[in-house]
Amino acid sequence: MKKTYYNSIDMDTFKQELKAEIIRVLNLDGMQPDDINDAEPLFGEGLGLDSIDALELIVLLEKNYGIKLEKPEDGKAVFQSVNVLADYITRNRKK
Amino acid sequence: MKGTTVCITGAGIVSAIGFGKEETLQALRQGRSGIAPIRYLETTHADEFPSGEVKADTPSLRRRLGMQDGNRTTLLGILAIQEALQQAGITDTRTVSLLSGTTVGGMEETEQHYAEALKHPGTTISIRTHHCGATTDAMAAFFGGFRHTATLSTACSSAANAILRAAEMIQSGRTDICIAGGSECLSKFHLNGFNSLMILDRRPCRPFDAGRAGLNLGEGAGFLVLESEVSARRRKAAVLGWLNGYGNACDAFHQTASSPEGEGAFLAMRQALEMAGLTPADIDYINAHGTGTPNNDASESRAVLRLFGGNYPPISSTKAFTGHTTSASGGIEAVICLLALQEQFLPQNLHFSEPMEGGLLPVQDQQPKRPVRHVLCNAFAFGGNDTSLLLSNQPV
Amino acid sequence: MRLLQYIRVNSEGIWLNGRFSALPTGDWAEALYRQDGIQYPKFFKMDHLCRIGWMASELLLAGENDRFEPRTDRAVILFNRSGSLCNDTQYQTTIQDPDNYFPSPALFVYTLPNIVTGEIAIRNGYRGETSCYLLPDFDAGILVETSRQALQDPGTRSLLTGWVECAPGQSDDLLLCLVDAETEENWNEKNLLQLYRYGHL
Repeated sequence: MKKTYYNSIDMDTFKQELKAEIIRVLNLDGMQPDDINDAEPLFGEGLGLDSIDALELIVLLEKNYGIKLEKPEDGKAVFQSVNVLADYITRNRKK
Repeated sequence: MKGTTVCITGAGIVSAIGFGKEETLQALRQGRSGIAPIRYLETTHADEFPSGEVKADTPSLRRRLGMQDGNRTTLLGILAIQEALQQAGITDTRTVSLLSGTTVGGMEETEQHYAEALKHPGTTISIRTHHCGATTDAMAAFFGGFRHTATLSTACSSAANAILRAAEMIQSGRTDICIAGGSECLSKFHLNGFNSLMILDRRPCRPFDAGRAGLNLGEGAGFLVLESEVSARRRKAAVLGWLNGYGNACDAFHQTASSPEGEGAFLAMRQALEMAGLTPADIDYINAHGTGTPNNDASESRAVLRLFGGNYPPISSTKAFTGHTTSASGGIEAVICLLALQEQFLPQNLHFSEPMEGGLLPVQDQQPKRPVRHVLCNAFAFGGNDTSLLLSNQPV
Repeated sequence: MRLLQYIRVNSEGIWLNGRFSALPTGDWAEALYRQDGIQYPKFFKMDHLCRIGWMASELLLAGENDRFEPRTDRAVILFNRSGSLCNDTQYQTTIQDPDNYFPSPALFVYTLPNIVTGEIAIRNGYRGETSCYLLPDFDAGILVETSRQALQDPGTRSLLTGWVECAPGQSDDLLLCLVDAETEENWNEKNLLQLYRYGHL
């Protein structure tokens, strides 16, 4: 019980960091981490991201976490939302 | 085409499938691709991304031309220009304009010195031959100078736009003879860049195929001698073909991606037809941009279907032979179109096995079912810069 | 041909149709973007060349009627000397170090100088001709001649043309003009040179 509690705090901190990093690498001007809803889709309407942003996120995964996606299509599942992305990174990170 | 008729009196080509028109034609007729593991560019990706390199290292290209120096883009350009001028019977270039398209320019040579230059902070990194204009100047100098030179840099439609601009110059009476096209060599800079866009196929590319997974880069040069008909007659030069129309339109959709409806491609092809006063039914062959990326081939298919309907003319991408020669592609493929018109054959679309949904069935049989008189040659670029050239074996 | 609008930007300031204003300090294009309250998030993803060309075109076109209606009759033909060198240098830093080698797709996209013509076309819905030339220096004669040839195309009625130059360690240098095919011969080498030198006619 205690362990889960700590994990969820860690997870929230991680998500905030991740969102700050997304805002930085994608040059999302004027946005704050709290402006991004953890459950909402990253692509499509919300943040106005496009195919180049997806590629830049793929670079972010490799650079920061040592996770290598081979095809741009692989990003689709991973970039569904901040929740999905954070979970994916936690389970697959190499650094 | 209103006003001055623009004809073609010379053509030169070098690419992964050969030096000159004869070798190119043989490879096309025999279905022999030039795509192979990278052998001449120094890169860690040599065995990862098959590419269409010109089959000679840079020192041997220099020896071929009796030159001490010169970067690869320049050398490839000179080879193609030399062949084109020779065919056109032009020995004195001082009355001729040279329009050359390139984006890589001297990048490949810069890469060889850049790391060393960075080790000495405070010194200016001055690489004389780096910029795109320098390669055009170096080509011009080899032939003793031209009346006018210009460098176009619109990414993968550069050479096609050089040809388009040359035709405009001839039609406006500014010049009688123009040699126009483009030259580009492989560089680490753009190989890595295309890789970062995840559009390089690890296998030989398969344009228009359902299983296509990206492009193979290539290199080379292609140039046409364009001339007013009056000038060609005066010089008693043999006319090889006509440039009867052209169009350039902006897709205005995305920095790199083509629009789903292929708006820019559609408008460019339609303009070329309108200028020539031809209808879609008059077109006997289309040399597609057909890079093999999922996005381009879907968008271009859509543009062709919108303009031509289900009864579209034979179409193929020759990039499975040469690789995508980026800025040079419009020049190289215009020369291939000229060969198709002269030799009355249809260049194949290699490695096609399964049609994509809503896509086109490209040429499988070299033997045309009707005479090849009018062909479209497409070149599209990042920035949404789309160009289509209309070449014919007769004036309109 | 007729010169309709022009904007000149250099280290001394901005002249919009002859009206002078001082250059905001720092990144002038970003400062003006914020000052004008423009909403176009893509601006922040552009490289420096695109930002300055795009922002200058915003100022130039601001008053135009039906501005964002898609059209095929307007061309965008730009010239410069240094291509996309500002951004090339930045992209190079992402591939320079073998131990920290992460080529940036977002930077690579802008290593093409013609993307600025595309950015302006995307913003305004222009589907006409776009082109980009590299010249050793600003050359009024070539600009006028090239625009004249572009207007020979019966489908092209007006064009946005000019000089958009930036390079590392050098101040931005722009002259952007809107011209059309009407016969009023104020679009000539002499006037263009005057605009480039003094910012007004």
